[in-house]
Order: sequence, then C-alpha cells, then structure tokens
Amino acid sequence: MSSKWENIQKRSFLESNARTRAIGLVDPDTFTELAGPRHRISSPHLPLLGEAVEFDDGIVTGVGFVGKKPVFVASQEGRFVGGAVGEVHGAKLVNIVRMARKAYDEMLTANPDLPEEKRPAMVISFETGGVRLHEANAGLLAHAEVMDQFQDCKGKVPIVALIGGRVGCFGGMGFVAAATDAIIMSQFGRLGLTGPEVIEEEMGKDEFDASDRALVYRTTGGRHKYIMGDCNVLVADSIAAFRIALHEILLKPYCEIAAMSCIGSLEKIQSQLKLVDLCVETAPKDARDVWKSAGNENPDDLTDMPLDEFLKTVKRLTDRC
Amino acid sequence: MKETRKWDTRKTDYLERMSGAEPYVNNGKVVAAEDTINVLEAVIRPFDRVNIEGNNQKQADFLAEALIKCDTGRVHDLHMVQSAVPLPVHLDMFEVGIAKKLDFAYGGPMGGRVAEAIKEGKLELGAIHTYLELFARYFIDLTPRVSLICAYEGDADGNLYTGFNTEDTPAIVEATKFSQGIVIAQVNKLVDKVTRVDIPGEWVDMVIESPKPFFLEPLFTRDPANITDTQVLMAMMAIKGIYGEYGVKRLNHGIGFNTAAIELILPTYGEELGLKGKICTEFALNPHPTMIPAIESGWVKSIHSFGGELGMQKYCEARGDVFFLGPDGTMRSNRAFSQTAGHYACDMFIGGTLQIDKYGNSSTATASRVAGFGGAPNMGCDAKGRRHPSGAWLKCGAEFTSQSEYLGPMPRGKRLVVQMLESFGEKMVPSFVDELDAWQLAKNANLDLPPVMIYADDLTHILTEEGIAFMHKCQSLEERMAAIRGVAGFTDVGLAAKPAETKALRDKGVIKTPEDLGINRARANRSLLAAKNVRELVDWSDGLYDPPARFRNW
Amino acid sequence: MSRNLHEINFEFKTENPTDFSGEFVHFGVVGSGDMEVILEHKDLGGAVRAKIVTPVTGYDEVWRRVLERFVIDTGVANASIEINDNNATPVVVSLRLRQALSEID
Repeated sequence: MSSKWENIQKRSFLESNARTRAIGLVDPDTFTELAGPRHRISSPHLPLLGEAVEFDDGIVTGVGFVGKKPVFVASQEGRFVGGAVGEVHGAKLVNIVRMARKAYDEMLTANPDLPEEKRPAMVISFETGGVRLHEANAGLLAHAEVMDQFQDCKGKVPIVALIGGRVGCFGGMGFVAAATDAIIMSQFGRLGLTGPEVIEEEMGKDEFDASDRALVYRTTGGRHKYIMGDCNVLVADSIAAFRIALHEILLKPYCEIAAMSCIGSLEKIQSQLKLVDLCVETAPKDARDVWKSAGNENPDDLTDMPLDEFLKTVKRLTDRC
Repeated sequence: MKETRKWDTRKTDYLERMSGAEPYVNNGKVVAAEDTINVLEAVIRPFDRVNIEGNNQKQADFLAEALIKCDTGRVHDLHMVQSAVPLPVHLDMFEVGIAKKLDFAYGGPMGGRVAEAIKEGKLELGAIHTYLELFARYFIDLTPRVSLICAYEGDADGNLYTGFNTEDTPAIVEATKFSQGIVIAQVNKLVDKVTRVDIPGEWVDMVIESPKPFFLEPLFTRDPANITDTQVLMAMMAIKGIYGEYGVKRLNHGIGFNTAAIELILPTYGEELGLKGKICTEFALNPHPTMIPAIESGWVKSIHSFGGELGMQKYCEARGDVFFLGPDGTMRSNRAFSQTAGHYACDMFIGGTLQIDKYGNSSTATASRVAGFGGAPNMGCDAKGRRHPSGAWLKCGAEFTSQSEYLGPMPRGKRLVVQMLESFGEKMVPSFVDELDAWQLAKNANLDLPPVMIYADDLTHILTEEGIAFMHKCQSLEERMAAIRGVAGFTDVGLAAKPAETKALRDKGVIKTPEDLGINRARANRSLLAAKNVRELVDWSDGLYDPPARFRNW
Repeated sequence: MSRNLHEINFEFKTENPTDFSGEFVHFGVVGSGDMEVILEHKDLGGAVRAKIVTPVTGYDEVWRRVLERFVIDTGVANASIEINDNNATPVVVSLRLRQALSEID
C-alpha cells in the first residue's frame, strides 16, 4: 500500500482529486477518513432540485500523522459543484476544525507538558467557489461557523491553507482562507473574493474582462499572491511539493506559525494600511505596476519565467503583512 | 466577315473602376482608413463576385465592416466567394442586401445563421466546398472581380508581408489580379519597407492601414487540461492499432481534442512502443501547440502549415529545421499548397466528426446549422491521381477487398481515412444514426445534396472507445454495416449488432478492440499526456510559446 | 415532471460468478459528465444489485445494458453497486466501474 502513497507524491496537485491530496499530504498510510463515502451523508437539498449528489458532499475530512503530530485534514473537491459549500460539506468542515481543537484541549489536559511536535494541527486544501447557491443559507452559516472555530483554535491549533486546484479559492471561502495562519499556493492556484465572471458582470468588461485569463491570474493567481505577500509559500505543482512545504511549516513552534498570519495584531493591521497608502500613491492600473513598485524591473517577464527562476529572482512587496 | 470584337474589356472595366477610386488614392497606393467606404463604392458594381479574405485564422474584418456600410443603392446583390463566414458581419451582409449569393467552405459559429438566411430567402447558396476546391474555382468559374484581403504590413508600392498568417492570400490575389480584378488590402501597419515581399506591389491596387490589427482566431489551440481519459484511450488505440500497424509517417490531423490527445502521448506511449522515427515524421498541419512535446522530443522532421496559430510564431521561427521559414527567418504558411500536400503527399487523414450513419457516411451538419467542411473532404478522401508508393498506402490498398471489382488484378494503394469519435457525444446524443441530420438540413436549406464531409467509400477506419473497425477490409455493404454496429457501443445502431456477427468480425481482424490490440484500459488516463495544461506546453517550448490570454492557467 | 433525482434499480444473476473479493471499494468524483461508485460485498445468492442515482431520465435501458455487460465481463457476484451519476456516457461508466474493481488489488 505504501507504493500507492509513493505514486501519489509525484502526481500533479492540480490534477489530483481531493481524496488523493488528503492521503498524500500526511505520512504514508496514516490517513483515516471520517464521515466519508462509507457513511453516504450526501446533500438532502440537491435531489429536490434534480441535481446530482456525492457520497462525501464534495469534501474529504479525516486525520493523519506528520511524524508524531496528529494532523486533521479537510480537502475540498472542486469537481463537485465547483467545491461549493453546502450544508453537509459545511458541517464536515466546521466539525473537523472543532475536532482538532477538542483534540488539543483533551491532550493538553491529560498532559500539560505535551511537546509541540505532538500537538495537533489543522490543514485545509481549499478548492471552492464559496457558498453553494442551491443551499445558500446553510452554506453561508457554515462560513460563519468555521470562522468561529478558527477563533477557538487561536493560541492552540495552527491552521494551514493549501490552494492549488483548478477552481481556486473564491467567494466567502476567500476570507476564510485569509483567516488561516499560513497559506501555501502553486502558480495554478487562485485566491480571491468575488469571482472573475461576477466582477465583469457587476463592473463591465472594460473594468475586468473575465475571459482574459492572463488578467485573472495576474490578479488572483499564485505568482501575484506571492509577490503581494498574500500567500507565504509558492510551490511546484506536485503533491510532494505541497507536502514538504506543509511539513516545514508544521514543524515550527506555534508562535512562529501564528506570526505568518495576516491578522492578529495591531502591527499587522498597520502593515495592511501601509499597502493601502501605497495603492493610493501609485494608483496601479495592473498587477504589473504593483510588481514594479515591489522592485521588479521587468514585471512583464515574471509571468512566464520558469518557477525556479521566479522564486530566486522575484522581489516581494512584503512578507505576508 | 469577322465582327470587330473587343478583347480587353476586363482591362478597360478595371481602369474605369479604378478611376472612380483615384481621388482617394495617395502616395502610391495608400488609401486612408476613413476613405475605405468611398473606394469600395467606387470600385464595386452590383452583382459583382467579391471575395473577403478570411479563413480559420485571419480575417479581413476592417474591410468587411466597411463593405457593409456601403450605400446599398450602389453596392447590392453581390456574389460572395470566400473560404469562411465565421464573423457576424459576414452574415449581416445578406440581411441588409449588400450580398445575395454565397459560395464558401466553412461556416463555423455562423452555421446557424447561414441556414436561417437561406430559409428566409436572403441568402442564395451556390455550394459548400472544401478549401482547395474553392480555390480551384477561383481560376475557373468563380473568379473574384474584387478581393478584400489582409496582411501584417504593406508599403506605398503595394508590397505586402503576410508572414506567419499567409494562408489563402496568394491563391486569392493571383486569381483576382491575373483576371484584371481589383485587390484591396487592409494592413496592420504601413511601413517604408516590408519585412519580406510575400505579395508583390504590382498585384495590389490599394493598401489601407486599419485602426486595429486584423482579427486572428486561435482555432487550432486545444487546452490539454480538457482532454479526458476516454480520449487518451482512443489515442492509444490509434497509435498502436493504426499508426504503428501501417507505419504512417506522412499525415494530417483534423482539428479537435482527439488528435490533440494523440499528439500529446507520442512522447510517452509512442516512445514506449518504440515508434519514434517510424511514424509521424512529416505533417501537413497548422502549428498546433499540442505538437510541441513531440517536436521537442525529436519525432518530427517537417511540418508545412496551412496558416499560423496565435502565440506560436516565435516557437516556429526558432525551429527552422521543422517549419517552413523564409530567408528572413519568419514562417511562411500557404493554405493552397498545404491542402495539396494533404491531398497528394500524405498517407493518412485522421479526424473527428459529429455523426456517422449506418453505412459509414459522416457529417458535421445538423438540421439547422450549415457548418461547412473546411479542409477535411480534401484530405479525407482517397487521392485517385496519386501514383507514388509508400508503405502505409500500399498496405492499405492491399487490404482493400473491393479493389479487384474495379481494377481486376491490378494492385493500387489507398489512403487511410480515419474517423475518430465516441459512440455518444455531449448530452448523450448518439454519434451513430440511421439517417444523418444532413438529409434534414438539405431539405431545410434547399441544398442539392445532403452535406457529407467524408463519404463511406473513402472511409477506411472508424475508431470508437469500443474498438477500430477496418472498413476497407469488408467484403460488402452488409459486412461494412455489421462492422459499424460492432463498434457503435450502446447506441441504437450498436444495440442492433448480433454478438455472433461481431465476434466473427473480430476473429477476421475486421474489428479490433483495445484488448485485441493488447491495450490495458487501466493505463488510459491523463497521466500519459506529455503536457497536462498550457503552462506545461510553455515549459516544453522553453518559453517560446506565448499562449493567448484565454488559454493561460497561471 | 419530477425535479427529483432519478433512481434506477437492477438485479443481475450471472452464469459463472466470481465472488466479489473486496469488502468495500469507492471510486470516482461526481463531476460534470462523470460518476462515483461504491462496490460492496453483499450475500445475494450469487446475484449483483445495482442502484443508480442520476439527474438524467430516459436511459434506463442503456444503464441496464452497460451494467449487465460489466457483470458478465467481470463475473462479479454477491456485490452491491451504488452509483451517483452526473451525465456520464456509457464509456465513462464502464471505465469507472473497471477502475473501481481494480482498486481492490
């Protein structure tokens, strides 16, 4: 069975399904799925609308190990209704985060001196358009509830986001991802709030042409987010690359992981405000203007150059806040 | 007593028309963009045969937009002879009465409007053609009087640089100019000296710098991210069961994801089968981005292209050992020559289609869309004039059981014509039917013939997810129909298959399933693709391929 | 017309059945044009039961034929097949069923 885990490592993160990602991100043969297809908890709402259902409602939840550390995993399936959050999907996400925090509470109560390397962590692979409109109320509620769980995790369980799927991470889940402690992306991943088509619909094609995918990736794609400091790490598109970057973060002490976040201190808010000032001052018309102000002399070259070269030579606007 | 007849009326008519345009022509042959409508009204007469250049890739869109604005009192009832009508303005011509009759080859996105316009009596259809056939008629009975063409650059003497996207221009211009017609060119840029003289100035009457570059459609770009596991399976079958089996070196790939999948598994699956150098060495083909991995891996010796493909220019220029480049280093395409190459110098055509009837005739026409044929009929047929042998051609001819009925014991080769399709298309629409929708279209649009892209008598192989049917090996119409049923899967046509009959055909080698070919279905998935998305194509090309914005995924 | 998901049920008996060697297997993603399947061991006296949940109506006979072909070709028996479908064509259905079966090894 370990050969299956081995085979998974070389695979494209972008191409892999949610389950494969979950299995590949933790140590070999340690992943145990909870509330998975065996339990057949699919959406009670979609059938009423004549829409196809999935046994896991589009999210894989479970727990594995990274060394001695229990790692709780949520992995969204972008191919099922665009990874959008419905009632069951949302409940699974909320409860796996809660489970991580409960595990922390129980373990630390039993053993207050529990070393950091054995304390639980939470990993979320985001691939979603946000709220599932078919189940809008439940989806929206889930967004609020998961943010609530994140708050409960503060000071306890580090939460790391991975974004590298075709759908990207949009809608309300965009701010949920931003509320995690650290974000790892690939150049194929995208992180934003309003989806490109909706921006075009609201603001017109002249303002934002959603069919101009080069523009969409310049605005929300991994390379741009890395320069902006909206993600902490940019990796190659393989399960192994994501896993290695994830493990590097998880091995840090909690306070260092928390320090990678965008929010949580006055200092960080002030960093954000400085960016707003920069924006007002330079009035950029395009991401490339921002890349230039970050110190990149030839912003046009940054998109197409090989990833290794990009990581070596690019100047970032700021470390994540 | 011999009547005095004038023998130079074409020339005098030409001079008369040009004199009307004279006030607007300055500085040699230059006309300002704002005077375009005036010159068109001056040189075009009602009922003229007019060509607007435009094919799969480039379009003389500025000139088309100007033509439709002409005063319908002076310009009306034109007979349009043009390769394609993919832009809305092409059909608007018929709505407003500027144009009345149409001879063309490809309708594409405007197929529905063509059918409608015919029904409403606004468009009188001459005929649907294949490209080379239409070019041929430019020199016989469909010679344009006025041609509106497009080029990258032009100078004041009328010299044009058509470069990467040369496409149809030489054929159009030669036919028009040498029958004393008028050639008007829109260019992206007026220059002092063109990069390369592709059309000599003497053949061009007017050069107009258009406000925007001419429209270019990346029609042949297929995003590898959209290739399915099934398409990979069919690609494996094609390579092992046909390409490798016949040793197909010289070929054309029809447009589509099926052939893109074949292109992308040459460096992986093809390599595994040890076929490099034995297949796919010479192509008549547009610069498909999905060919990059195979080219980089050393599979291809030569490609001649019908046209350019947006984003591939730098790559082609950097691969002079494969593509046709001028002495100046830029690529030169030519649709007429490439189509001729596809007809006489290629041993196989392989492409997709929408429907095949139970006899083996295939069509992309639906009841309400006149999609046209493009180049497929020209390459998807047996070239009866061909005389030179090649391994694949001779082998296919030797397997052609009906040959002796026509030739006696005389041996002859045969081109492989392969149609590749899944038994069910999108939305569970069956691909195999009793009667082609083309019949209904013929009725709706008053066509003399149901539009058939590839006829059953040219078809040699049908490839579906179920297997390959070797049509040319069949002894009779009955046997061919049984072979089709054997690979038509769960469609009504396929469900009519008798298992014993299908088995007998398999035993004879007239049908080969993936299992018969030794293909493990479990391996048929996207991991076999040498490039899985557009970014990977860029990486394969060392950054030379510059994909259009709509294809970027990073 | 009902806007609910359409449920189709079949039962197949085969000539030379091979007992389903797995206990529980799941494969696939319910993407557009695709499907997922659960294969589970069940004592059915050698039969195979199939349940398909699909948004598409009018193709019951095609489903029956595809599943029947799968059961005959593989000789699987004492198994329950549960499918969540989203417009998969027969070729995709066959592929996923076979891929699920190969997950056992």
